[in-house]
Amino acid sequence: MSVGLLVVGAPRGAAADLETLLSALPAHLPAPVVVTLHRGPHDRLVEPLGRRCALPVVEPDDKDDLVPGRVYLAPWGYHLLVDRGSVSLSVEPPEHGCRPAIDALFESAADSHGAAAAGLLFGGHDDGLAGLGLLQARGGRVALVGGEDVEVLDTEVERLSLHDVGGWLARLAYVSRGRVQP
Amino acid sequence: MSAGAQSAALETLEAELLLEGVARHWGFDLRSHSRPQLLRRLRRHLREERLESFSALQARVLHDGEALEGLLRALSCTPPALFSDAAFFRDFRSRVVPVLRTWPSVRVWHAGCGTGEDTYALAVLLHEEGLWGRCRLYASDASEGLLADARTGVVPLPDEDCARRHAESGGKGSLSEHYTRDGNWALIHPKLRDGIFFTQHNLTIDGSFNEFHVIVCRDTLLSFNRALHNRVHSRLYESLARFGFLCLGRKESLSRTPHAHAFEELEGSGRIFRRVS
Repeated sequence: MSVGLLVVGAPRGAAADLETLLSALPAHLPAPVVVTLHRGPHDRLVEPLGRRCALPVVEPDDKDDLVPGRVYLAPWGYHLLVDRGSVSLSVEPPEHGCRPAIDALFESAADSHGAAAAGLLFGGHDDGLAGLGLLQARGGRVALVGGEDVEVLDTEVERLSLHDVGGWLARLAYVSRGRVQP
Repeated sequence: MSAGAQSAALETLEAELLLEGVARHWGFDLRSHSRPQLLRRLRRHLREERLESFSALQARVLHDGEALEGLLRALSCTPPALFSDAAFFRDFRSRVVPVLRTWPSVRVWHAGCGTGEDTYALAVLLHEEGLWGRCRLYASDASEGLLADARTGVVPLPDEDCARRHAESGGKGSLSEHYTRDGNWALIHPKLRDGIFFTQHNLTIDGSFNEFHVIVCRDTLLSFNRALHNRVHSRLYESLARFGFLCLGRKESLSRTPHAHAFEELEGSGRIFRRVS
């Protein structure tokens, strides 16, 4: 896999779509998956999201290692950021009225992993668009799922329907293997 | 190299030069802070100051002590209201206070107090539980500017949410008994304010300054990288009496620190640990 990190952002309305995405992840994914879903203080998400997912879904503590093949879900009340080998939680003020915020995650992924990160954003909320743009500018591969009403992006971003996401993930995973060196 | 990657590399270089300058000129070493958080806060500070680049910020900070205070303030994250985390105070009341009652005197250290909201909430709690006379509460922060704010005893006027969280935390009586209103601000009762020793202490370089029975250090170490985080935990461990309590943030854990084996987590509490050896 050419990608060292997959970051996913989803507004509250896309929780069901997120579950579908997680269930489509291959069981031997060689990269960590870091997810920010807008949430309230009392939402229990780890069990419902983990039920159909082949990978373990965890709500990390601060400075936990980033391990390939594991899904990290942002806890309520903290921004979830990624560093090179670990997660980093933050109590900075909410962005777009949200903590956890998607922009915060995507920005940190662009800083720490750059072109080695891939980002997937479920549309429907302002939060995440700026981060997605930054990640793309740094060379990361990005896509927007749904969000047909979104037109404010500066650059052209690949748009997917929920149906295409499985194929997009597969392309990420097999890109390096498919290329034959002469 | 793409244009995006190039500007990212340049920004990284400028950020490193800024941190190097601050460390060598002012003695505040921010290089061991959590990199993603530091970058975000520096960028936000840049936007608020309407500066173009980290180089411009560097030029300002090196020549102007007030600009440094502004920077340190931007890097700190303290809760903006009293009793911002009701669950913690509730657990503290139910699990720690009963033990404190059995001790003749209690030294409490709030490390990383910022502008003091959580310190005053703690003071209110100790007063309500009848422990105020027996407690000595020390509160510290690295930034003298934040401490100056905290010392005034003036906090934003608690709103309905504050009052509700105070009640949820097991508060006795009304929160408004502990302050007098002054416009949009609340002046904490002098009896509480004057009983708190605010002192400048930099967790990253200063040594232990007393032995404490309770150390509250919540969400402060989030801003440090792992190496510094572990070093500071050694200092907290040295500063905590045997059978003393260490209170961390909801998502902070001791499991990767050198002294994890010396602590027991209180069952059913949000990250309150007791030193057992």
